[in-house]
Amino acid sequence: MDYAVELKRITKRFGSFTANESVDLAVRPGEIHAVVGENGAGKTTLMNVLFGLLQPDEGEILIDGKPTVLPGPTAAIAAGIGMVHQHFKLVPSLTVAENVFLGMEITKGGLIDHRAQRARTAELSRTFGLKVDPGERVGLLSVGIEQRIEILKVLARGARIIILDEPTAVLTPQESRELFETLRGFVAKGMTVIFISHHLEEVMEVSDTVTVLRLGKKIATRPTADLTKAELVQMMVGRAVSFDRRPREKSAGAPVLAVERLWARDERGLPAVRDVSFEVRAGEVVGIAGVAGNGQTELAEVLAGLRPESHGRFRLGDVDLTGRSPAAIRAAGLAHVPGDRMVRGVDRHASVAANILMTRQDRAPWSRRGLIDWSYVRHRAEELIGRFDIRTQGPDAPVKSLSGGNIQKVVVAREFSGDARFLLVDQPTRGVDIGAQEAIHDEIMRQRAEGRAILLISVQLDELIALADRILVMFNGRIMGALDAEGVSEDALGLLMAGIAPEAVSREAAA
Amino acid sequence: MEVLEKLFNVALVVATIRTTAPILLVALGGSFTTRAGIFNIGLEGQMLVGAFFAVIGSIWTGSALIGVACGVAAALVFALVFALLVVTFRANEVVVGLALNILAGGMTISLMKAIFGTRGSIVGHGIVGLPKLTVPGARDLLGSYAPLVSGFTPLVYVAFLLVPLLVLFYRRTRLGLHIGVVGEKPDAAEAQGLSVTRIRYTASLLCGLLAGLAGAHMSLGYITMFTENMSSGRGFMAVAILIFSNGDPVRLLLGCLLFGFADALSLRLQTFGFPSYLVLTVPYVVALVALFLLAWKTRPKLVRETADSMRRLLSIRPASPER
Repeated sequence: MDYAVELKRITKRFGSFTANESVDLAVRPGEIHAVVGENGAGKTTLMNVLFGLLQPDEGEILIDGKPTVLPGPTAAIAAGIGMVHQHFKLVPSLTVAENVFLGMEITKGGLIDHRAQRARTAELSRTFGLKVDPGERVGLLSVGIEQRIEILKVLARGARIIILDEPTAVLTPQESRELFETLRGFVAKGMTVIFISHHLEEVMEVSDTVTVLRLGKKIATRPTADLTKAELVQMMVGRAVSFDRRPREKSAGAPVLAVERLWARDERGLPAVRDVSFEVRAGEVVGIAGVAGNGQTELAEVLAGLRPESHGRFRLGDVDLTGRSPAAIRAAGLAHVPGDRMVRGVDRHASVAANILMTRQDRAPWSRRGLIDWSYVRHRAEELIGRFDIRTQGPDAPVKSLSGGNIQKVVVAREFSGDARFLLVDQPTRGVDIGAQEAIHDEIMRQRAEGRAILLISVQLDELIALADRILVMFNGRIMGALDAEGVSEDALGLLMAGIAPEAVSREAAA
Repeated sequence: MEVLEKLFNVALVVATIRTTAPILLVALGGSFTTRAGIFNIGLEGQMLVGAFFAVIGSIWTGSALIGVACGVAAALVFALVFALLVVTFRANEVVVGLALNILAGGMTISLMKAIFGTRGSIVGHGIVGLPKLTVPGARDLLGSYAPLVSGFTPLVYVAFLLVPLLVLFYRRTRLGLHIGVVGEKPDAAEAQGLSVTRIRYTASLLCGLLAGLAGAHMSLGYITMFTENMSSGRGFMAVAILIFSNGDPVRLLLGCLLFGFADALSLRLQTFGFPSYLVLTVPYVVALVALFLLAWKTRPKLVRETADSMRRLLSIRPASPER
């Protein structure tokens, strides 16, 4: 039997960097084939080669058993391949139909026939079960619908082999489920789907076959049914990764952070943090759990001085920091890993070294007599790049040239390398791949062992259970309960996160 | 009352149409580049060389039509240089546009000196102007209102007819659609195999074509002469109208009519003995006020966010906690 797509010994180099090294990929017609790997494993490069966006340095491409050269996307489309990119390429001011037919407009007498385009879009939408309104403007639509339009674009061009690059990264769980159903509909019609992901649950759920890439090489291709999640992780990362609770010694010392009856409002002026009181002690990791949007972000912002509290106070040691500026709070001993690294964590245009310097540019030995000592900054940056295993070309590379996980490591490296006694860590591993996740977790545990007080805010329960000593659950701005993280179950946390307070959970534990 | 009647009559409307035409032509030209995502501040210069070479062509060949063609050709050369620098070499649009404007000003002055040995203006020398077109039957049908549709020079008709044509162009032709896509989301165009570079060059040249026509209209239309810097800011006014109309032809027409009216009004006021230096500021004052009002209503994100953050900074914390 012929494969729908067969890539043989594909090698692609960018300068001295080899993104794909002799990679084979064989996809049977009518299957959903997942290509998985960590960030930087070469998944997207391989797909760009298949879609004609990149030319391989070595290797060959067979479509339906026939050797094919794809000098550009146009050739790939002609060969029946379609690609749905991770970042959508839609024009907001145009209608759905206009976007679907962009570049291949249906014309009548030299003028675009909008009616025919709408009718054809509606027909495609019905045939493939992708609900859209052809006459609507794209700018008003949700991300999930935008993705449907991207898929319709590909279908309108007659694709039989559809590549999706990280399709669920931007979707809600419901939208993801709908997408999976659509994809199953495609294979039922005899089409072939290749999708890139590093989200293991969905790979296990939807794919028939998995190909694992690591550091540009193919590790294995297996039927999904023969694999467990743990085996998949092992292949992706190259070693066993444990999500278990970290071993620790009891080390809670003197209280460092004390929050008393704190209130704060959100952008609309409504109370987002309500009457929150707790303490974090030296050598203790306190976790904050909760469904996103229950006041965690606002709490973190108040503690970092980025949002005014409306009532209540908080102290670091003996210093009352209520209403003080971010600089004053930092000077009193706060380090802050913000929840959104691109907005508050880094200056993406500045170099790695400059980002490492930030927040201490006016302090010796970083600067002397008002002048920054760049040779010292670079020296420290190099040291931290090594210690945190930041994958970059060097301290002078701009941060925007790094992958998301490595940018997060830059933020963590800066915040964890000062002498802060309190670490406010918000979503430390959001969008970070498994290897980097583990490294950041190691670092948090090392900081704990050094006696720092750590407040860890995360929407990932496994992360909290692995790292925290105590977990506070926030619901609707209040602390619903506090649980000892030792032996806690996700179910118990889930109930509190839903706002249901079991009697067994006492509020005293919060104190 | 009598003064107002004398001021606001058919003649004023006719004058408005006439003064609107050049600015409308150049603004419609700018709509191509604006929609293609190029901020074209070089309209002024393209218009000026258009006016100059239209006069030269007219003198040398004795034909107004060839004069217009020469003006357009000169503007196209400027548009091509602009596209080369901005699209191919990715130079800053504002810098290149300003540089070309300065070049146009200096070049026309020194060529005038070299060819005619004079400074200031070219008058006479056998310049052939564009004829006035009489619409047959207008006199009989409309009587004293006939000047509203008849007796303009050809480029006035071209300017106003281009408005509906461009509406159709942007809505119903592939090139028109693609120009808009290239300006709004170049990634989307590229992903569908459209050449952003080719489309931007096309837009820039179409812009040069209309800017050249606008220039030729100025020097061969109602007055047949060239004076130093005779575009006198019309290209910049067009840029201003383009910014708030976003290149939409109908809104462009409205904006241009407003400026044309202010222009015509200031000319009329001069004949009533108002101090001319005050009266001449009328169009520019109108421009500023209109731009301010429109800009405030659709003020960009930057202004909005600055205003918001100022408000937040100044806001006083609630004194009592909510319970």
